[in-house]
Amino acid sequence: MSDIEEEIIGIIAKSLEVGEININSSVENTEEWDSLGHLSILVSLDKRFNGEVAGIKKMANIDSVKSILNVLKNNNLI
Amino acid sequence: MKASIKRIEYFLPEKKENNEDLKVDNPDWRIEDIEKKTGITNRRISSKGQTAVDLAEEACKKLINSSINPQDIDFIILVTQSPEYPLPTSACVLQDRLDVPSCIAFDINLGCSGFIYGLAVSSSLISSGLAQQGILVCSDTYTKYIDKNDRTCRPLFSDASAAVHISATKDDSIGPFELGSDGSGFDKLIVPSSDSKLPSDNAIANRLYMSGPDVFMFTMNMVPKAVNSLLRKANKNISDIDLFVFHQASKLVIDSIIRHLELPEDKVFTNYRYIGNTVSATIPIALNDAIKENRINSGDLIMLVGFGVGYSWGGVLVKWQ
Repeated sequence: MSDIEEEIIGIIAKSLEVGEININSSVENTEEWDSLGHLSILVSLDKRFNGEVAGIKKMANIDSVKSILNVLKNNNLI
Repeated sequence: MKASIKRIEYFLPEKKENNEDLKVDNPDWRIEDIEKKTGITNRRISSKGQTAVDLAEEACKKLINSSINPQDIDFIILVTQSPEYPLPTSACVLQDRLDVPSCIAFDINLGCSGFIYGLAVSSSLISSGLAQQGILVCSDTYTKYIDKNDRTCRPLFSDASAAVHISATKDDSIGPFELGSDGSGFDKLIVPSSDSKLPSDNAIANRLYMSGPDVFMFTMNMVPKAVNSLLRKANKNISDIDLFVFHQASKLVIDSIIRHLELPEDKVFTNYRYIGNTVSATIPIALNDAIKENRINSGDLIMLVGFGVGYSWGGVLVKWQ
């Protein structure tokens, strides 16, 4: 896993205020990843990427760490 | 003639709900977490049978007692998404309750952008010579649409009404406007029931549904663009604006707008904490509270921005008189 991917996972964990988040974490297996938790992730990632995330509609419906990393990659942010 | 805001009055239902009250129905909710993100500690809840027209009537009566005679009212524009009946327009019900003689009366079916649209229509009625003065009233009872276990909507929405006396003036104090909509988001904040699409006796269809992340992404993306477009239209900069009054959606939303636009926090008025998100009434309520708190002085340039259900958005500059 690259440094930036680890950083993103750290951001997601901090946003959800949970210690254990990994590449396989998702809405399904993370209780704290509810609607409000998802908003926190969006805000934190948007801050990290200087407002670039706000323009990516797909980010509203992502439901796993893998899908977040994929969307960020597809938009050339990581 | 141009239009100006003469006076604002608002009405809040008696029943208050705090975040501890939410735990009664939902003991598993992490209230501290919710409060940290929404920034909202209290909401107002309309009582059983208390309608948006009832709330609007109370706010309008305050305005009639203080600022405008019923016989001088040329228009009543009611912004609501909680109409008294599917038909007639609730503004006519309100006109009858207020004993206002013949006037222009109609509803605008818009939510969080509704005050700005109502202000645009009111200004147009006056500048076209169709009216001299009237009442723009925003009133909703969204809490009646919300399931007690809905963690997305229940901590946010609150019931209230706000009535605004708008009158002709020689000075140019309202405008320019920036208005827009994006119907692709129609199903992201919706009460799906209707007699034509889904039966209104369908319990789920009668409930408010909000996709929080979708609405949030729309806001973060569109509101800064609308603000910048309005500034360009008026040939102004952020530093020219004395106070920003945004739709009081939630702390998370307003903080994100501040961050995107790099606004000085002391130029952004908020009052969501103790009142909650009262849909189209948030802006006139916040405007009135800002006046009471001496945050607005004569000659100040104020930007008002509403956004949400539709999707729909609107912004306007007001030179305070």
